[in-house]
Amino acid sequence: MLIYAINRILQIIPVIFILSILVFGFVHALPGDVIDTMAGVEAAEDPEVRAALEEEFGLNKPIYVQYFIWIGKAMQGDFGKSLVTRRPVNTELIERIPATMYLALVGITLSVLIAVPLGTLAAVRRNSPTDYAAQVTSLIGISIPEFWFAILCILLFSLHLAWLPSSGYVEFFDDPQRSLWYLILPALAVGFRQAAFTTRLTRSSMLDEISKEYVDTARSLGLPESKVIYKYTLRNALIPTITISGLQLANLLGGTVVLESIFAWPGIGQAIFQSIQLRDFPVIQAGVLVLGVMVVVINLLVDLLYRVLNPRVGMG
Amino acid sequence: MSEQILRNTFGNQTRREFLTTAAVGAAAISMPGAALAAPKRGGTLKFATRVDGRGLDPHRNIIYYVSNPLTATTQGLLDLNQKMEIVPGIGSEWTISDDLMTYTFKIRKGVEFHNGRTVDAEAVKWNYERIMDPKTSHAFTRGSLAEVDTISVLDKYTLRIRLKGPSAVFLANVVYYPCNLIAPDSADQADTHPIGCGPFKFVSWKRYAKTEMTRFENYFESDALGNQLPYLDAIEGYPKKEDKVRLTALRTGEVDLIENMAYSDVAAFKKDHSDKYNTWDIPQVGCAYLAVQAKVGPFAMDHPNGKLMRQALAHAIDRQAIHEAVFNGLSETVAGFYSTSSPWHMPGIKNIKEYDPEKSKHILRKLNAMGTPVDVVARDTYEYMHNSGELVHSMLLDAGFKASNGKFDNPVLREKYRKSDYGVDSTANSYRFEPDGWYSRNILSTAPSTMLRTGYKNEKADKFIVEARATRDFKKRLELYTEVESEVNEDCALIYTHAVPLTSAGTKNLKGYKPAFAGPFNIAGGGIRTAYFD
Repeated sequence: MLIYAINRILQIIPVIFILSILVFGFVHALPGDVIDTMAGVEAAEDPEVRAALEEEFGLNKPIYVQYFIWIGKAMQGDFGKSLVTRRPVNTELIERIPATMYLALVGITLSVLIAVPLGTLAAVRRNSPTDYAAQVTSLIGISIPEFWFAILCILLFSLHLAWLPSSGYVEFFDDPQRSLWYLILPALAVGFRQAAFTTRLTRSSMLDEISKEYVDTARSLGLPESKVIYKYTLRNALIPTITISGLQLANLLGGTVVLESIFAWPGIGQAIFQSIQLRDFPVIQAGVLVLGVMVVVINLLVDLLYRVLNPRVGMG
Repeated sequence: MSEQILRNTFGNQTRREFLTTAAVGAAAISMPGAALAAPKRGGTLKFATRVDGRGLDPHRNIIYYVSNPLTATTQGLLDLNQKMEIVPGIGSEWTISDDLMTYTFKIRKGVEFHNGRTVDAEAVKWNYERIMDPKTSHAFTRGSLAEVDTISVLDKYTLRIRLKGPSAVFLANVVYYPCNLIAPDSADQADTHPIGCGPFKFVSWKRYAKTEMTRFENYFESDALGNQLPYLDAIEGYPKKEDKVRLTALRTGEVDLIENMAYSDVAAFKKDHSDKYNTWDIPQVGCAYLAVQAKVGPFAMDHPNGKLMRQALAHAIDRQAIHEAVFNGLSETVAGFYSTSSPWHMPGIKNIKEYDPEKSKHILRKLNAMGTPVDVVARDTYEYMHNSGELVHSMLLDAGFKASNGKFDNPVLREKYRKSDYGVDSTANSYRFEPDGWYSRNILSTAPSTMLRTGYKNEKADKFIVEARATRDFKKRLELYTEVESEVNEDCALIYTHAVPLTSAGTKNLKGYKPAFAGPFNIAGGGIRTAYFD
């Protein structure tokens, strides 16, 4: 297991290196000149102002030199200064990444907590009213766009019932109770749709597993049904569920721009989007790279979890 | 230099009359319902705005006076009142030399920065020198002090500014937008924790999430009863980009005040919720217009048919349709930059090109120019700009142009300006309380913005703008700007369309609050300074 883990970690290094080159390259290929944004209309054509800004932010150096300076500092945890706010990029990211991770982790946990029992129950009670209800609910979840579901939730829980706040964010460590209060609707909007996918997947995986011979063998040996289902079958059926949940989590880390906008949630997705509009290169580069690293790490954890669930994985 | 009568830029009042009027006005505003008792102190105002600041250092960043919570921390040498007139601020009085080249300001005694340092002439000088340094300021802010030649401290509370040339408009440049003051001993923390001297102190800023400000206990302004302003203990600013998200936050009680309601929501909200909420219709925040690329191509200033082609374009624009479809009937169609709500409105503007698509077609046919390509562009940030752009696109198609349409983010649009790679830009400009700020920056042919975007050149207009800048008399200036606008309308390099409206809304228990004309909320004797919870 240890060797397997070390091998997987070593594989990550070139991935991150290539990712850093791609991120840097794409960001600098964006149309539009960042100096225009920084200098303002009045001074954008003034060569002295342009030269001073290029000098200050090292934009006058060849692109490959800029890359090596950036990656060198990034490896020491220094992503430079935002071209827009002039604050350290680390400050910009530290304000945003926890909000995104908070929402993504709670959303995905919620989705798994709904999907695994529901999918399992639907499979075990195939063609029963429970199964039909689970299938209809998950179909609705898949069919309704996330933003629409979010708006419906706001209308119902915030405007009509006045139970929950409609938008905003409170840091968990500032006020845990209020923080959770503000989290419920965004997490529900994120979790419901993910749960819909995962429920269907868990159900079909479970049906596959239940039809296998080892399940008949276990039953014929007189093992209790709950042990057969929850100890042996579910454990094997969860492998695709974990894969999908891992991918969903990775997707949520950078892909909730619309929901962040609806709930005024100050996440990294919005930050990167706004930075792209302003051509704030250091923030875009650092944000995308950090998200990329997080995705790679999540994939690594998922792979390691496979191994825990099924020790045969990765032996070949 | 002898003390002489100052004719302020808004009329024929003397300085003394003007100061008296301002003080009485401020007092009246600060006593809602003419109540004699002092308004209640305390409370935290939760204010949802459309945008957030880009940075904290007010010299390096433009702290826009509308839509930006950080504005509550700012204070300039001079102030604005509810009518957007220039009134005393840190500078309690001033004199202007006869040649309009020397401005002498008396600094109000006993005023402090948020860190306790005294606001004196040295501090103001230090601020202006920092603003004039390209390394420490934004070009827009710096541009406000471009006329300054020397700054001298005559004594602890007297500052003299000598200009490079005569200017009757300099006062407008030392109002808090854009030139506001920070403590000289706080420059190293300006990007992280600015120390100003406005009514609220900076506490914290989480970009796009929350701005926290607390009452400045030593703020210099007081109401008519001598009660120190502001009344509120704190302000929390919540940038919520989407208009409907802000409105929902107000209706669910998460915030007390919102600005920039969606135009489509205003009528229904007033009808259904006026029992619980106050709304404020602010007549003009800025002016929407179409900027025609007249540098190269068929619309160019030096093209033999350029003017006729631009006029054909102007006749194709149905302002009423934009008024109804984009602004939901809330805007005002305009023929010049200043709407009827502004003291600078010019009823005598000539050469207005009315909507007449047949005339457009006639011109195009006459010039054998049917199917001339026009690329209509707009910024993607503001919905009304690109919605107007889409309508203009279809109007131009109807008139016989081969129009295309696109919305772009700012850097791409800038590149298009530079390369003259567009036909018409559907855009807008924020309200300029001093008209020289508009005409000198966007019409004058030598202005960087004019050269970058439209390439507009009109010697007569240039002459009038320069003359108006050195003219003290309000009526004379108004006449000169009327002439400028008539030239602009004839040349059609800029086609004014609408005064952009703004509606704010707040809870009924929020009293004493009223934003200024054109939207600012941090104003002398009004706005958030006199707001309180009942």
